[in-house]
Amino acid sequence: MMRALIVDDEIHSRDELEALLLETGEFTILGKCSNALEALQAMKRERPDALFLDVQMPVINGFELLGMIDESLMPNVVFVTAYDEYALKAFEENTLDYLLKPVEKGRLAKTVRKLRRALNAGEKPVYSSQDIKKIPCVLSSRIKLISTAEVDYVRSNEAGVYVVCPTGEYFTDLTLKVLENKTNLVRCHKQYLVNIDRIDEIILHENMLAEIKTKSGRTIPVSRRHLKELRGKWNF
Amino acid sequence: MELLFRLIQAMSVFLVIAYLYCKSPWFRPLTTHSLRTRDRIYLYFFFSAVSILGTYLGIAIQDAIANTRAIGPVLAGIIGGPLLGTAVGLTGGLHRYSLGGFTAFSCGLSTTVEGMIGGLVHLYLKRTNKTDLVFDPKVAFTTTFFAEMIQMAIILIVSRPYLDALALVKVIAIPMILSSSLGTALFVSIGRDQKNMYERVAAISSAKAFKIAERTLNFLGSGINQKTAVDLAKIIHEETGVGAVAITDRDKVMAFIGHGSDHHTPGSSIVSSLTKAAIAENKVIFADGERERYICPLSATCPLNSVLVVPLHIDNDVIGTIKLYEPRNKQFLNMNKMLGEGITNLLSNQLLLSRYERQKNLLVQTELKLLQAQVNPHFLFNSLNTIISITRNNAMRARELLIHLSNFFRKNLKRGNDLSTLEEELDQVNSYLQIEKARFDDRLVIQMDIDPALLKLKIPTFTLQPLIENAIKHGISNMLGQGIAKISAYRNDGHALIEIEDNAGAFREADAGDGLGIKIVDKRIKALFGKDFGTAVYSVPDELTRVTIKIPLEGHVQ
Repeated sequence: MMRALIVDDEIHSRDELEALLLETGEFTILGKCSNALEALQAMKRERPDALFLDVQMPVINGFELLGMIDESLMPNVVFVTAYDEYALKAFEENTLDYLLKPVEKGRLAKTVRKLRRALNAGEKPVYSSQDIKKIPCVLSSRIKLISTAEVDYVRSNEAGVYVVCPTGEYFTDLTLKVLENKTNLVRCHKQYLVNIDRIDEIILHENMLAEIKTKSGRTIPVSRRHLKELRGKWNF
Repeated sequence: MELLFRLIQAMSVFLVIAYLYCKSPWFRPLTTHSLRTRDRIYLYFFFSAVSILGTYLGIAIQDAIANTRAIGPVLAGIIGGPLLGTAVGLTGGLHRYSLGGFTAFSCGLSTTVEGMIGGLVHLYLKRTNKTDLVFDPKVAFTTTFFAEMIQMAIILIVSRPYLDALALVKVIAIPMILSSSLGTALFVSIGRDQKNMYERVAAISSAKAFKIAERTLNFLGSGINQKTAVDLAKIIHEETGVGAVAITDRDKVMAFIGHGSDHHTPGSSIVSSLTKAAIAENKVIFADGERERYICPLSATCPLNSVLVVPLHIDNDVIGTIKLYEPRNKQFLNMNKMLGEGITNLLSNQLLLSRYERQKNLLVQTELKLLQAQVNPHFLFNSLNTIISITRNNAMRARELLIHLSNFFRKNLKRGNDLSTLEEELDQVNSYLQIEKARFDDRLVIQMDIDPALLKLKIPTFTLQPLIENAIKHGISNMLGQGIAKISAYRNDGHALIEIEDNAGAFREADAGDGLGIKIVDKRIKALFGKDFGTAVYSVPDELTRVTIKIPLEGHVQ
């Protein structure tokens, strides 16, 4: 059985796809998510084999979500869309397959075979995807989008990843690795990414240790490993 | 007495000169009110010559000359002002002085003074706003009469011996005063006649041009066709009075009115080489009937002898010609040539304008069709997907939605009319919203508040639908939380207001996506009801977007 996650903002689309997938007898449905944040959390939790992803969704669309998935968690992605123009773009994005809504059974069977083959081959899927311009953060029941330019730094601990900007600190489901790869934030410590444009000063200590003071007056550590790299980027 | 006749004889020479002068191109500037420096210099030479000639045509009496020298300076003064009058007087006077005699100095002086008097009269007429009296023979007569009396007085005062001067004046005074005054008056009268003629010709040709323009411009909205071509040819024929008028397109004669219409038949191909050349080179061709003759290629007995061919064009494309003909026994008047060219240019501009108007309307229509077409496939697929899903659990609900879907599309297809009632518009909108409500479930809330008195209000068809679609497609469908779409219609201050509001607040001024739909709706309302009506957008980012449509209450449709 393939472990599948369905992401679609429309309830009837989710239900219909679930019914169709169950009819094939090939899938366990791990969950149905109505937006990108739910999807990121569910993926971390359930580690699905296959992701059926709607393209047109509020706030963060399917393409943007694809860029926010950590490489180590990347499932085989099938785009599902009612829009033909997106279907063409889905190919460019190098996904496994795409389905057009309303989904036709015969066409779905083809997708199922493709998925089966890919999973049997056991290769980790790698998709090209766009950079992240805005980081989705959870704010009680709302999603707050923080533009990467506003970010001072990002830190992680056992509880999760926090985006720090002048207005405060926000929890995000994105991993440090994704943020390092898909944004212009730079690694300065195992647990920290920093926005080069928001650095006020770098204070050098003995033992090749250093600290960064950001423009909003916060201090973050710089590890020995990353100091040299940072110096090169900051030009000093 | 004999002296008087001889002076009148001399004066007659001036009348011939005056006549010739008035017919010459140099007279033309005098008919307009402002004289340029160059015109003043011509006048100076002309009137100086007249003045000197007056001296030479004089009669030698008692070591002096009885003459009509005053005509030049006085006229120069009246027509050209004190400076010109004095200059001419001085020139004539110096010339007289150089001839000698016991009145040489006094005559030289008095001629200058006479020019000045003419100039003062000019100034007086100008100050009192009576410049039309410059060419009045009575004014000229009186001025010269007075000026000549002054001259006699100067001779008496300045010339020595006094007794000789007195004897001279006794002989010459009456003949000189009368002949000079009469000469000036007649000179001015010839000029006035010529001036009036110029003005009359100008007035007649302007009146004709305006009349043709007025009669032709109105019915050209639909462009030139067989019928408008005939009407147009008739009007030009009547108004210009030329022998014949033809209108052609690029290949054939569309209309022919006047002499020779027996063998120049509408519908026949263009055979004249002049017309072909005018079309090919996009230029006016004129065969005046003398240097170049029009030779009819169709009939040896054709009376037409001269022709003007003016290409009719839109932008740079020649679409046909307008031709004016005159028969052998009639000269092709310059006025008609100018009228023909002017009218054709006017029509060309008018055609360009009406084509532009048509294209503009076409564009709005096309945009509208595009807007209608562009929405439907996505909406259709999403709707079908929703209904397919609902079919699994609730067949009745699915049936209802399919009915709404067919209603929506039927209304979309039937949209041939320009105007619909608000009720009809709301019916379609309702079908649309029912389907979207099913699709988005509790993420979409619809609120309606319609004044029932407005249900019969006429609005342009397809006004509400694009705006509601904007609110859903670009607004609420992008919200994570609950979207609220409000539609309200109410009366305010003598007109109707319809509002479409969403709580997404996604409208951005620069965003062409939803801006286009609003713009087209706005354009159509303005085209129908005038510029005081149309759409207005109020938006608070991430909070709300409200499009307000202002429509006149019934009976106010323009």
